[in-house]
Amino acid sequence: MVARDLLNRLKERLGPALLRVDTPADDRIFIHVERDAIRAVCRHVFRDLGARYVISIGADDRPFSGEYLVAHDFAFDATHLLGSVVTRVPESDPRLDSITPDVPAANWAERELRDLVGIEPVGHIEPKRLILPDGWPEGAHPLRKDVAWNFVPEGYDPEREFKFGEPPPGCTVVPFGPFHPTLDEPAHFRLYVEGEVVRGCEYRGFMVHRGIEKLAESVLSYNDIPMAAERICGICGCVHNVAYAQAVEEAAVLRAPPRAEYIRTIMLEIERLHSHLLWVGLACHILGFDTLFMQSFRIREPVMWIAEKISGNRKTYALCLIGGVRWDLTLELIAELRRVLDALEVEWRAVIKAVLGDKNLQQRARGVGVADRSLVEELSLIGPVARAAGVPLDCRRDHPYAAYDRVEFEVVTHEGGDVWARIVVRMKEVFESIEIIRQCLDKMEPGPIQLAIADELPVGRYGLSSVEAPRGESHHFVITGENHRPRRWRVRAPTYQNLQAVPAMIKDQQLADMTITLGSIDPCFSCTDRFEIVDLETSATRVWSAEELARLARAGRR
Amino acid sequence: MELLTILGCVANAGLVLALAPLGEGVLRKVTARLQSRQGPPLLQPYFDLLKLLGKEDIESGETPRVQRGAGYLALATVLTVACLLPLGFRTPLAGVGDVILLVYLITLAGICTLLAGWGAGSTYALLGSSREMMTMMALEPLFAVSLVAGAVQTGSCQVDRVLDGSVYGTGGVPWSGLILLMTMALAFPAFVQRLPFDVAEAETEIMEGALIEYSGPKLALFKYAQMVKLLVYSALFVALFVPWGSDRGFPLGWVLFWGKVLVMVLLVTAVAASHARYRIDQALRHFARLLAFAVGALVLACYGL
Repeated sequence: MVARDLLNRLKERLGPALLRVDTPADDRIFIHVERDAIRAVCRHVFRDLGARYVISIGADDRPFSGEYLVAHDFAFDATHLLGSVVTRVPESDPRLDSITPDVPAANWAERELRDLVGIEPVGHIEPKRLILPDGWPEGAHPLRKDVAWNFVPEGYDPEREFKFGEPPPGCTVVPFGPFHPTLDEPAHFRLYVEGEVVRGCEYRGFMVHRGIEKLAESVLSYNDIPMAAERICGICGCVHNVAYAQAVEEAAVLRAPPRAEYIRTIMLEIERLHSHLLWVGLACHILGFDTLFMQSFRIREPVMWIAEKISGNRKTYALCLIGGVRWDLTLELIAELRRVLDALEVEWRAVIKAVLGDKNLQQRARGVGVADRSLVEELSLIGPVARAAGVPLDCRRDHPYAAYDRVEFEVVTHEGGDVWARIVVRMKEVFESIEIIRQCLDKMEPGPIQLAIADELPVGRYGLSSVEAPRGESHHFVITGENHRPRRWRVRAPTYQNLQAVPAMIKDQQLADMTITLGSIDPCFSCTDRFEIVDLETSATRVWSAEELARLARAGRR
Repeated sequence: MELLTILGCVANAGLVLALAPLGEGVLRKVTARLQSRQGPPLLQPYFDLLKLLGKEDIESGETPRVQRGAGYLALATVLTVACLLPLGFRTPLAGVGDVILLVYLITLAGICTLLAGWGAGSTYALLGSSREMMTMMALEPLFAVSLVAGAVQTGSCQVDRVLDGSVYGTGGVPWSGLILLMTMALAFPAFVQRLPFDVAEAETEIMEGALIEYSGPKLALFKYAQMVKLLVYSALFVALFVPWGSDRGFPLGWVLFWGKVLVMVLLVTAVAASHARYRIDQALRHFARLLAFAVGALVLACYGL
């Protein structure tokens, strides 16, 4: 009913702009609109209907329809609906009105559209490069279908640099990254600092692209991709693995057997457990409180061991195939998992008690890196960042998948929107995860774990899937295709949205709070930077001797 | 007499040089145990220093000469302080230096870090230097006030007389001395540049600050100076505030003295392991409060309380 209601309201308001509206299920809606109406429709959906912006997808559909395809995904969390505003852009004029002036959260996604698919967002507020290296020549767009996955462009210009904005008057520039002890992956923040206070910053990231999406669209096949998807992230890999499988299943109207859904839920929660414990430890490390960092990792270790016993790996569980999972849980494993959860619960209670009573830690975390409710809504922030601002967003409840509709749990929220609130939210969510796993173990019935799929998957269908990763919603969009692989597969990791809020969060804060503010969104740069074509440095094969490198390093200083 | 003074200085300097890495080793091992870790072997800091000393000497800062000088000066300063202290026996330089010299030397030790940062000249090094400068201005007066209070109580600036529990005076309840003991204990981790007050280095914030451009032998000098600092300042604290038993002579007094220094090291360890790092503004507020108390204590001391 929900999708139909929305459809009627859209018809009333936007009538002629709508080309076609599909509601393949009650919780999905695809709104096909005229190119010129895209901005008005998105403004209506975002501003008037109160939808949350998820991501924009650009696809090169020229081999199939002769046009480019752009979809802006939105989520109606309160009514459990995921939707997509789809439009087509002609090959002769690859331009589209930018929605960023109305939907600020679309800033990066539209710049990405321009970089990778070559669709110009007209009227974008910050039309700078986001993903392609600065020396990459104009006019070469990696995600176009006529570009091979191993394409190396002519005319790469290593001298060209990213043009940063002017620092505000009276500020000095403090470079933060690409290498910094608290960044475990390269990213660059150019901080404008007045004394010890940060007045502004500019971000230049996307330095470790691996071309995973392009690889999936041109080399891998449906059942290879889950394993590649898992390698998008070293912490929440299983999330991408499940999200991809679900998106394809939705596109092909398949449903994994119930036991497989329970196993997916259990593994996702095990992953959340280890990720939350890891993050609490890292947050403490950033604040210089190494004792809790070490204790947190000690408590986390049995979770890694049980994951290894179940899947064969501490991480990268290699869980899903299309239509099911690859392995089952035996009775012995279930018994041991229960024991691990019991011990974890007791130990974690002790840690929480110690942390909540620690004045010193609160001094450093309260009022720091604030993302309040209005910022959360404006930039469509997600996960613990949103929940810490009192916005109860959780895909597990809002857009149920796997077995989450069959378990009971609470969406933990906290007020304040600061680092402290995020610490509290993530610490308390550990207990919810433990309860979810216990309920799954209780309710799981014996049965098949893999669907037998006799036919080839249908072509040209759309599938959406949102999975609540430990850091927030991971969203996958799939268009099924020929040759046993998708035409387009778009991954939106939670950091992609949350990272866009960091400049606002650190403004007018102490420089010392920069690291914990950034750390508190649990940034995952490998998720964010997930795709690109080829590493230009290594494609020009040249072996440097240690001596040459040393000389180069020394000559590097003027 | 001259020869004895020189021998005493060599003995003091040699003693702290030999023991300082062990103090660091104890600190690391105990920290590890508090964190459920195995921890490095007790003697690891000796090997670390040897390793650093054996590395290539890279000059990466803007003014390498200043950087190198700062390293030598840092170690030399803390060793000179060591010569002014009674390390379980009489102060070798008792007749030469007085507490004013001691105050200057302690300030000089901080200035070495400033020089290191300025010599390196990079953004983070300068940030470290500016933090160190702010810390110094708030912190140095604390030690000075304690020493001056001691001098006021004894009526002498001689190190061997002041560094003998002088802050407590002679008669009645020593209010000023007790207040100074509290303030100095609360500021102590900052003097030895340890958590929660290591804001000028703050690895996870400004990447070791002033020392960011240091490596190899020059880094070894600074690391060594920091280890010696932990030991020497602990000894200074013990001599100034808890000297009892040190006059028992060898071996009892000696054992008592070094036992108390070990307790100071353990205290620093325990505080470091149970606190998050203060932000620079929070740390400065903390020091300012302590300074207010210390100055109050000095006034009391002047009135013989």
